[in-house]
Formats: sequence, C-alpha cells, structure tokens
Amino acid sequence: MSNKRSSIFDGILKQNIVLMSGLVTAPIIVAATTGTRALVLVISFFMISYPTILLCRFIPRKIVYTVRTLLYAAVAAVMFIPTVILLEMWFPETTKSVLIYVELLVVNSLILAKTESRFYILPYGRMAVDALVYILGYAIAAFAVGIIRGLLAYGTLFGLRCFEPIMPAAKSPFFGFMLVGILAAICRGIAGRNSRARNINKAHSSDMRKEEAQ
Amino acid sequence: MTLSTIIARIVTLSMTSIFLENVVFDRAFSANVAIYASRKEAHVTGFTLGMTAMTTTASIVTYFIDKPMLSLEHGYYFLPLIYIGIIGVLYIAGLLILWKYFHKLYKQIRKYAHLAIFNCAVIGALFLNSVYGSDLPGYIGYGFGAGIGFFLACFFINIAQDQLNSTKIPRIFRGYPIMLIYIGIVSLALNVLTGYTADF
Repeated sequence: MSNKRSSIFDGILKQNIVLMSGLVTAPIIVAATTGTRALVLVISFFMISYPTILLCRFIPRKIVYTVRTLLYAAVAAVMFIPTVILLEMWFPETTKSVLIYVELLVVNSLILAKTESRFYILPYGRMAVDALVYILGYAIAAFAVGIIRGLLAYGTLFGLRCFEPIMPAAKSPFFGFMLVGILAAICRGIAGRNSRARNINKAHSSDMRKEEAQ
Repeated sequence: MTLSTIIARIVTLSMTSIFLENVVFDRAFSANVAIYASRKEAHVTGFTLGMTAMTTTASIVTYFIDKPMLSLEHGYYFLPLIYIGIIGVLYIAGLLILWKYFHKLYKQIRKYAHLAIFNCAVIGALFLNSVYGSDLPGYIGYGFGAGIGFFLACFFINIAQDQLNSTKIPRIFRGYPIMLIYIGIVSLALNVLTGYTADF
C-alpha cells in the first residue's frame, strides 16, 4: 500500500516533471517571471496536456511510434485552440506576452514521452489521476519560480505591490536557469531525505518483525 | 534584392539566431535535449545535423504559409497544427530517404531521431520566425541559425561535462541542477557580451 501511495504521488516530488526530470522547462525558465504568468502557463499546460493524454489513450498501439507521436502532437495542437481562446478572454495582456511558450506546449514531453513510458502502461482511471498529479507537480514548480521572480524583479505578488523591486535581473532567462537549478537541487535533497527516512523505517520495521518472531 | 543582399541578410539573421537569441541560452528551448545530446560527441553532431536540416527546410515551407495565415484575424490559432503537419511530413520524408539510400545511417539515428526533430527548439524556431521573420532570406537565416545555435549550446555543455559531474560538486547539485546553473552562467555571459535582454 505504501508503495502504491508513493507511486501515485511520484509526479509531485520524486518525479516532478520540471525539477527532477528536467522536462517542459522552457516556459518556466523564460516566461514564468510573475505569479500571474505562472498561472497562465499552468492553465494552458493543464488544458492542452490533460485532454490530449486522456484522448490519445484510444490511439491504437499498432500504429508505429513515429506516427503515434505525430498524432499526439496534432491532438495537442487542436486543444491549443480552445485554450488560447479562453486565456485571451481571462488574461488578454499576459497571454499575449507568453503566447509563444503556450504554443510550444503542443510538443511538451508529458505528451510525447511520459505517455509512452508511464501513463499508457497504467489502467485508465489510475492514468487519469497520475497525469493530474504530474500536472500538479508542474504547477508547484511554475508557481514557485513565478512567485520568487515576481517578488524579486517587480516586488509584486499576483499584481499586488509588496515592496520595491530588489533584483530586476530576476526576470531574465539566466536567472530562470539558475533558480530552477537551485530548486531542482532542493527537490532532490528533500526526495533523497524522504527515501532515506523510508529505508530507515523499513529496516526498523523489519528488525521489529524479526525480534517479534524470535 | 541582389544576391549579395540576400547572403548578407541570411548571415545577419543566422548570427542573431546563434548569439543574440540562442535557442537554448536565451529562449531555453530544448535545454533538456541539449543536456542529453551533449553527453556524447557523436550525438552532438547527429542532433545538430537533424535539427539544422529540419529548422532550415521547415522555415522555407512556413514562409509561404505564415503570410496568408497571419493575415487572418485568428490565423495564429491554427499555426501549431500546421507546423506539426509540416514537421511531420518532413520528418517522415527524411526518414524514408535515409532508410532507402543511407540504411546504415538510418539504423544509427532512428533511436533518437524523434528527439532531434520533435522538440521545442525546432517548433520554437518556426514560431519565432512567424513573429520576427519578414522575408525568405530572413526565414532561412533564422532557421539555419537556430540549428547552429543548438550546436553551440551542446558544445558549451559538452566541454564542461567532466567538471560538472565531478565528485567535488555537492551530491544534490550533481547532474541536472548544476547543469542548469552552468547554462544560466553561460546565458548571463552571452547577455553581457551582446548587451541584449529578451523581452520577458
């Protein structure tokens, strides 16, 4: 049970798609410079990736991988249309400024790689939950980066002015690379500590069982 | 437009794409693919050739499609679908040509060909062209420069591989995190060198 639970929550920390796997990083590194931009990226990532993953499950596995990948990207490109229409209604200015990174999400690795290596091996219901958890992991990374950079570069939190900007360069791509690198290291540290703690617990309970048996 | 003007425009846009708006260092397109490709020198060559061929060829094709599509009020809604179609057709055609005439090469590259073609750098170069490109030489120059810019990024990452994976690096930073920090430092250096900052 404990193994099953840990694998359901893999997408949040242990296999976080941005911080641990290093996939779908471009929008976060360059475009997530404020909390609002991060929100737009998360909504677009969800609206493009999630329905695509659920729909593409029905594409027969008999079709060769090359063509299958093309079909996944084509379905994602169709999903892009309602996504961008809604985003332009909700966040007209922000959507315009990050549009190129929303367009890029049609070839994101959650759709092109994780579907084949993970999602489509699982039963449908489990896959639906697993994909949501991965998107949640992406959201955590996007908001962490967007909020930190928004505060440092603009002194704002979701548009609310908190203090004077203390580091305008935080909105630059190079800072995005460094920040994601540092957050990835922190994430690894936490995941490593958790797994060490689990191993210690396992070893402890196994010792207890041995003692009880004796 | 004379031949020398065309060549000058292609070279200028290529240089812009390689140094000022490098696909990896400035736009972060396919940073993960660059990290993967840079592990082996043979991969660097293979990925660069595949990407450069695709970005250049696809840029030429998209030049003739962008104008009519972008003149429509909501034409850009359909660009991702059209670009996927173009890349898909070129990708399959390229694989068929390799399979038919260069079978040995086809066997070597088929495992990672999709990684070199279906990534943010290729499609991102086409989107950037649709925003900044104005004429055919500009499209060709920018597309070609995107592939060469990717090579430059892979080269910079490749030469630092040993140092970045050394035991002197703290364990939690080793591998992907330190690689990102290193790319950030190179990106900062290029920004300072060119005095240019992407508008984000």
